[in-house]
Amino acid sequence: MNHQPEDCVVHVVDDDAALRRALRFLLDSVGWNVRLYASAEEFLDALAPPETPSCLLLDIRMPAMSGLELQQVLSERGIALPILFLTGHADVSMVVQAMKSGATDFIEKPFRDQVLLDAVAAAVRRSAETLADTGRREGVRRRLQTLSPREGEVARLVALGEPNKVIAAALSISEKTVHIHRQHVMEKMGISSAAELARLMLQADPSALD
Amino acid sequence: MAAKARVPDRTLGRLLLVSLLAAFSVATGAANANGVAVGVFAFQGERAAISDWSPVIEHLNRELPGHGFQLRNYDADGLREAIAAQKVDLVITNPGYYVTLETQFGLSRIATLQSPHAARSGQALGSVVLARAERAELVNVRDLAGRSIAAVAPEAFGGYLIAAREMLREGIDPESAVRETHFLGLPMTRIVDAVKNREVDAGIVRACLPEQMAREGLIRMEEFRVLSPRRVDGFDCALSSPLYPDWPIAVTRHFDPGLAKSVARVLLSMPEGQDRVSWSVPLDYQPVLDLYRDLRVGPYAYLRDITPEGLARRFWPWLLGLLAILAAWIVHTVRVEHLVHQRTRELNDSLAAREGAERRVRDNQERMEHLSRLSILGELSGRLAHEINQPLTSIDTYANSLLRRDAAGTLTPEALREACGEIASEAERASGVVRRIRHFARKRAAVREMVDVFRLVEDAQRMVAGMLVSCPEIVIAREAGLECRVLCDGLQIQQVLLNLIKNAIDAARGLSDDRQGIRVRLTRADNRLVVQVVDRGAGLDAAERERLFEPFFTTKPDGLGLGLPICRSIIEAHGGRLWAEANEDGVGMCFSFQLPCHESSA
Repeated sequence: MNHQPEDCVVHVVDDDAALRRALRFLLDSVGWNVRLYASAEEFLDALAPPETPSCLLLDIRMPAMSGLELQQVLSERGIALPILFLTGHADVSMVVQAMKSGATDFIEKPFRDQVLLDAVAAAVRRSAETLADTGRREGVRRRLQTLSPREGEVARLVALGEPNKVIAAALSISEKTVHIHRQHVMEKMGISSAAELARLMLQADPSALD
Repeated sequence: MAAKARVPDRTLGRLLLVSLLAAFSVATGAANANGVAVGVFAFQGERAAISDWSPVIEHLNRELPGHGFQLRNYDADGLREAIAAQKVDLVITNPGYYVTLETQFGLSRIATLQSPHAARSGQALGSVVLARAERAELVNVRDLAGRSIAAVAPEAFGGYLIAAREMLREGIDPESAVRETHFLGLPMTRIVDAVKNREVDAGIVRACLPEQMAREGLIRMEEFRVLSPRRVDGFDCALSSPLYPDWPIAVTRHFDPGLAKSVARVLLSMPEGQDRVSWSVPLDYQPVLDLYRDLRVGPYAYLRDITPEGLARRFWPWLLGLLAILAAWIVHTVRVEHLVHQRTRELNDSLAAREGAERRVRDNQERMEHLSRLSILGELSGRLAHEINQPLTSIDTYANSLLRRDAAGTLTPEALREACGEIASEAERASGVVRRIRHFARKRAAVREMVDVFRLVEDAQRMVAGMLVSCPEIVIAREAGLECRVLCDGLQIQQVLLNLIKNAIDAARGLSDDRQGIRVRLTRADNRLVVQVVDRGAGLDAAERERLFEPFFTTKPDGLGLGLPICRSIIEAHGGRLWAEANEDGVGMCFSFQLPCHESSA
């Protein structure tokens, strides 16, 4: 899955207008789709779950809501957006905290332009992967939802590696019926083996086979 | 003329008054109308009195016919009332009553009874204290303490008071020391009988009564013993006291002085004889008065009342109340005093505590001010670094983006204009920050006062020692006789000193103990004060020394590199110089600054 830069959004949150514009000037030069926000609050107001690969360039120090607080809010809302912190000289302790809270990277000001661009590219890539994973998981989940309740029960036992005989006994149905359900499951999920079924089910729900 | 005319009037008025008074006295004093009334204190009953005194009356009537002398018997109160009512003209009474009446009614004695057994002095009245003969333990009247005694009456002269005075003289209070006193009244023989019958331990009677009773066969003298016996020349009766003058005969105030004289003459001429009453010249009754004073009775009864005991006896409930109030007042006063003391002490304590606290706060504030001056540099440079960082980052970003676009062939004139405009304004922003740093460094340079730098060094030493948990030794070495005062901003020079000392301490941090000490040297060179802060710390290499005073150059992990540049700008603003060099032995650094001396004293 390859994304064109113009399809990818780089959100820039920084209270320094000049630096915001400078970052856009830089990111524009390599074609990223840049959106600027003067504060964390402004960013949150415009926030929607990412549909295209994107990342957040976030100034760690801001007058009202700080970068760390914004990171916290995003985490609480379950929004998976790679965050690149822009930090100053004396922000070491804040950076440590940010990284512990799952920040993707941090960039110390003043930065080399290539360092920033590389970091943004990496973050966007990661975002794209996350999106792809999510997409796949959604596809499997959707397909699993097409199974009838009985097919679902059979699928779970098949994924657990139970032979048809055992499944028939467990569900009090004939082996023949189990066989038919099994074929339907394989068709609907577009797979051919019990192992594949198990992988898909785990992908959709890690606790599916517990 | 008028005065002359009045004289007869006045004389007439006086005559009238006299006749009125005469008429009054005739009307009131029935006795006077019928003759001269002789009032007698009949202490042994009327019959005895008449038998005693009728010879005197007969003698008077015989010698002074026409006056009608009559005997009137009275008890003590009756006699007093009769005198007050002027019912009597002559009074015969015992010495005790006499002195009382003399004081009260102005009686004048004209003769004293001459007792047949009187002492040579003429005195014949005394007391004898008797006990049963076998009571060998009763020797002195003193021995009556705790005993029961019998006497005639509290006011009886020979039958109590004379003996009472002797007890007083012997040191016992007749009223309180004696267990009980039975006043048996008259006749006095009752007392002797009481002693005889063992009803009491001792009895007080008039002297000569026992002998009289013995003569009459009523008692035998051997049955009794006399307490405190004494002999008076010419007096043959047993005696326990001195003798007092005998009964007097006195005239009342209203009695005609001429007639009084005649009566006196007639009485003194009464023939002496066995069992016959005779009279002598009036004796001195002062001893009787003394007795009364000692005992505080009779005319001196008031003494009893004004003595503390007397007052206490009379007013004890009030006294008790007063004492209670007094005690309460004292308790209250003491308590209030105590409370006042306590409150005052508490107040003082709390004032002292507050003052102490205020002083500490003040000290701390001063220290904090200095401290914050140090940390302001750090804090401020942190912020300044951030503020400089921002435009630098922008400029860098624009410049690199331009290069990048140029290389990619995507650089448009608009983009170039935009970028260059931004670069210019960001550069301006950065220089604004630098201007502010300079302004801060110069800000207080306007303050100039004479400052003893040595004192500043001492203060800095104290402050650093107070600020750090384990402060290395800071030795101040002053060139002998150095006295250099500098016109400067003391606070800023202090700031420089603190900075240099703090740097020196930091330079030796983590090194061995022998590298820890710091020396601050004060010397003079060419009318300039040189202050050197010498450490034996890690030192700096040549390259580091070169950049030492560049802003933001630092060798410390958490340093910001603004301390020394600011120190230098401060010293330079004072017309001085700040420099650094490695120590000659190669260990540690020496930071020096010099300032021009503006005044020096030899």
